[in-house]
Amino acid sequence: MTGPQGVGIGWRSEIAGFVAELPGLRFVEVVAESLSPGNPLPAGLAGLRERGVTVVPHGVRLSLGGADPVDPARVTHLARVAELVDAPLVSEHIAFVRAGGLEAGHLLPLPRTREAVAAVVANVRRARAELPVPLALEPIAALFDWPDDELDEADFLTEILDATDAELLLDVANVYANARNRGEDPHALLDRLPLDRIAYVHVAGGAEYGGLYHDTHTDPVPTEVLELVGALCAGRRPPALLLERDGHYPPADVLRAELDALATAAGHPVVT
Amino acid sequence: MNTLAAQGDTWGIPGPLFLKLYLLVAVVAVVGTLLHRRRTTAGPDTVTTDQLGPQQVAYLNGGDQLAIWAALGGLRGAGAIDVTSNGRLVAVGSTPSGLTPLDHAIRHAARQSVATRELRRNGGVTRALEELRQGLEQRGLLIDADGVRALRRGRNLLLVLLALGVVRLVAGLFNGRPVGWLLLALAGLAVAFALVARTPRRTRTANVMMSRLRSSNHHLAPDAAPAYATYGPAGAAMGVALFGTVSLYALDPGFAAQAEIQRQALNASSGSGYTGSTGVTCGGSTSSGDSGSSCGGGSSCGGGGGCGGGGGCGG
Repeated sequence: MTGPQGVGIGWRSEIAGFVAELPGLRFVEVVAESLSPGNPLPAGLAGLRERGVTVVPHGVRLSLGGADPVDPARVTHLARVAELVDAPLVSEHIAFVRAGGLEAGHLLPLPRTREAVAAVVANVRRARAELPVPLALEPIAALFDWPDDELDEADFLTEILDATDAELLLDVANVYANARNRGEDPHALLDRLPLDRIAYVHVAGGAEYGGLYHDTHTDPVPTEVLELVGALCAGRRPPALLLERDGHYPPADVLRAELDALATAAGHPVVT
Repeated sequence: MNTLAAQGDTWGIPGPLFLKLYLLVAVVAVVGTLLHRRRTTAGPDTVTTDQLGPQQVAYLNGGDQLAIWAALGGLRGAGAIDVTSNGRLVAVGSTPSGLTPLDHAIRHAARQSVATRELRRNGGVTRALEELRQGLEQRGLLIDADGVRALRRGRNLLLVLLALGVVRLVAGLFNGRPVGWLLLALAGLAVAFALVARTPRRTRTANVMMSRLRSSNHHLAPDAAPAYATYGPAGAAMGVALFGTVSLYALDPGFAAQAEIQRQALNASSGSGYTGSTGVTCGGSTSSGDSGSSCGGGSSCGGGGGCGGGGGCGG
């Protein structure tokens, strides 16, 4: 039950055969909602577990940022999945996916208000009471800011983490996207985040449409994001970094090169 | 009484005598057929799966047609082939490296605008398939034509015996003779026949290899929505080889439909219809020996006096 270490990749059934062939791989992340605790693990994941690869369940539907209390059935599911893969921790987003009974089908950003902090903190406490392992929280990419924001991104995050004792899942591509879309310096934003709380880091590709940078997870990781990873790791190097790829899967060589580039930028051993 | 019984004997052969002879021949035939089958379908002791390419796996799994489809999957995955709106193949781009003889034959046929459904009758393709088949026979994974004929001879022998017994049974019934033991013997023989009714093309070694390949390539199963771009042409070809043309439709639905490729999903858990399932048949052969001997147990009837009193004998 060691925490995630080194360079990992998001496990998806589409590329399960590729992930299984990575000799140096020590951790993967799996979308928690894609597993059902009543059933056996998918063969690819079971094979990784036998190899001693750490599997971190990553929730996307808990809606910790919702004004309503978090759905106990969803927390139970996440807890069961964590037990199923013998996970050292689980992660979720600081976002809401439903409100007033409507499902958005997307992770939506919260207004950065004290009220929102209180709602998230209450939900994280409810979830942690049920979860058998620590919870890492991931701030999401935002293409816009709410007009009534009271806190900046760094303060908003720090207040939530301080109040809940949760760990941080930092998405470097989101940091890049948010800073760039606001015309700010991503390095300056990075410096203000509570980096000492990082459990692991997400890195993903994106693309620019209409002057805005979109965190697509289906494009290559831009050089600027890798530079940001380098800057992050030059300071206090996070124990683990994970490449997220959710579609438009490239040939195996290209995907291996992305993992290698991430390992090189981070100063972790290559896994290919 | 004895004279009367002799006159009433079906075909002039007394029931117990017929039954004794019939059982003797049947037991020899069944045991011989099963032993021969067991040896013919065994295959070599050790073959490793990594020695097999997708087209060989496809041939084992579905014969000529699946081998062609697997090759088309690989060629399409490599972007080396396209299809016109009237279902004729087109060779695209320069020849990729690492092509098999079947790939080359298909590319050659594509340059002559052969339609997909005509590939099997194309000279070059036929020759390449023949080579593929011979290679598999030499490695002991496919049973060759002689072996198949020998297996069918054994099956036919049992069929003839079964037919003879049925005729005797019917004649005995018309004569009002007791037929219980004969019926029992026929049931045993029918079970033995059922075990050898299907003639396999794959050896047991090949069956073991196929199931190993299916589990080591579960990431290529259609329900995993495999990213063929990541797995490359070989992955696409292996997907078709193991799971059928449903993989080709997942790789490139437009191409598969336009090329008029029949959509087919091969069941991952059982063998395919093409070769039959030797494993099952041979697993059953032990129990058939049992049923043969229980049928042979009927011969104690011929020896014992209980037969006449028992009311049921060899017709």
